[in-house]
Amino acid sequence: MHLLEAIRDAFSLLFSGDAELWQVIWVSLKTTVSALLLATPLAVAAGYAIALHSFPGRRVTIWLVQASLALPTVLIGLLLYLMLSRQGPLGSLQWLFSQSGIVAGQVLIALPVLVAFSLAAVQAADPRIAETAVTLGASRWGVMRTVLYEVRFGVMAAVISGFGRVISEVGCAIMVGGNIAGETRTMTTAIALQTSKGEFAQGIALGIVLVAIALLVNAGLVLLQGDPRAARGAS
Amino acid sequence: MTPLLALHGLRKRFGERCLFDIESLVIRQAAAYVLTGLNGSGKSTLLRILAGLERAEVESVRFMGDALRLDPYPALLRDAVVYVHQHPVMFSTTVADNIAYGLAARRLPREQIARRVEEAMEWAGVAHLRRSKPQTLSGGEKQRIALARARVLEPRLLLLDEPTANLDGVAREQVIALIPTLTAAGSSVMMACHDRDLIALPDVQRLKLRDGRLQARQNRVRSALRTVEGKT
Repeated sequence: MHLLEAIRDAFSLLFSGDAELWQVIWVSLKTTVSALLLATPLAVAAGYAIALHSFPGRRVTIWLVQASLALPTVLIGLLLYLMLSRQGPLGSLQWLFSQSGIVAGQVLIALPVLVAFSLAAVQAADPRIAETAVTLGASRWGVMRTVLYEVRFGVMAAVISGFGRVISEVGCAIMVGGNIAGETRTMTTAIALQTSKGEFAQGIALGIVLVAIALLVNAGLVLLQGDPRAARGAS
Repeated sequence: MTPLLALHGLRKRFGERCLFDIESLVIRQAAAYVLTGLNGSGKSTLLRILAGLERAEVESVRFMGDALRLDPYPALLRDAVVYVHQHPVMFSTTVADNIAYGLAARRLPREQIARRVEEAMEWAGVAHLRRSKPQTLSGGEKQRIALARARVLEPRLLLLDEPTANLDGVAREQVIALIPTLTAAGSSVMMACHDRDLIALPDVQRLKLRDGRLQARQNRVRSALRTVEGKT
């Protein structure tokens, strides 16, 4: 059978240590992790600030953040392409068709997810947590650390969703990265390319790796999340 | 003796509605007060305003004789005043870490924190729970840990919102027994409550919020109020 054959070939590719295949996996992981490391602190702080402070335009901000969840990644890719292209305002960075360009796109894709989810997590937190921290004399940062620790389950959910969205997106990576072999070819762009060439084994091998990575990373994050009952702020 | 905290012209409004308009509130040093009043009369709100957790209009505030403002809530008061919720929330660390929280926020040396946490746990009778997770604790234990978490900071003023509500039997008696030791240690205590046994504690002065006004229900309090009113 065609499919079974392709799966068998996929496993043999994986276990034979096909250099090109592992290079693609490496590029994907490197850019995704870098993007999350850059986006997470910023987004969680923004989510926290929006959740716990009232300011003019707060509801408009929440509306825009939540609406941007629905933006297709190709559109983000297109906008970033125009910004990074030679004539664009950020052209001098020379990030187009480079891993930095992919990371920039992934940061933009991850930010709304991370902000929206951490905002929801902080907003759902028991208000007595922040009040108790305040009355016991915690600094502004101390209160933030305490609240985020208490809602760590929700914050980790944000990171999990951000990871999922970033590692699985194709549109932006292909437009800004250019799918250059050994440079900017990621797992998803490689799958798209191999499939269009009729090379199903490589595509399936990469699909298997994507699923395995998703399982592994999520297992790690679930362990980090800890006990959801403990993280709800025991009242 | 200089009053610990004296407020004049304290008003809390929600839009058009005025919750209370308190001409004068004077809290003496190392004194205990119960604040009574019907549900919705503003007892908790008053305590929360004093703790800097809610805003209100106020004409003048004096802390140990020094004039200051409530908004933004001054660091001096933040250090001196601790509020305990009716249903205290525990951080999802250990009991000992909960009690150490405020001391750690004040960046005290580790040995000093350990010693004071130990003393506070002994005082509240929760030393055997030091490594317990908060979700395993009973209501009475949480209340005593919350009192220890506040007392360990040696606050000048402790604001307790219904400290015995929803507790009964031994748990309630244990909490009631802790209150006089707080004033003995030099803290002033103000409790919002309905509990007759708390109201009947010796040397506790009674204030009542009624129809938006604060009434002193004992002569001693009334005369204290008059003294300060005469001064200002």
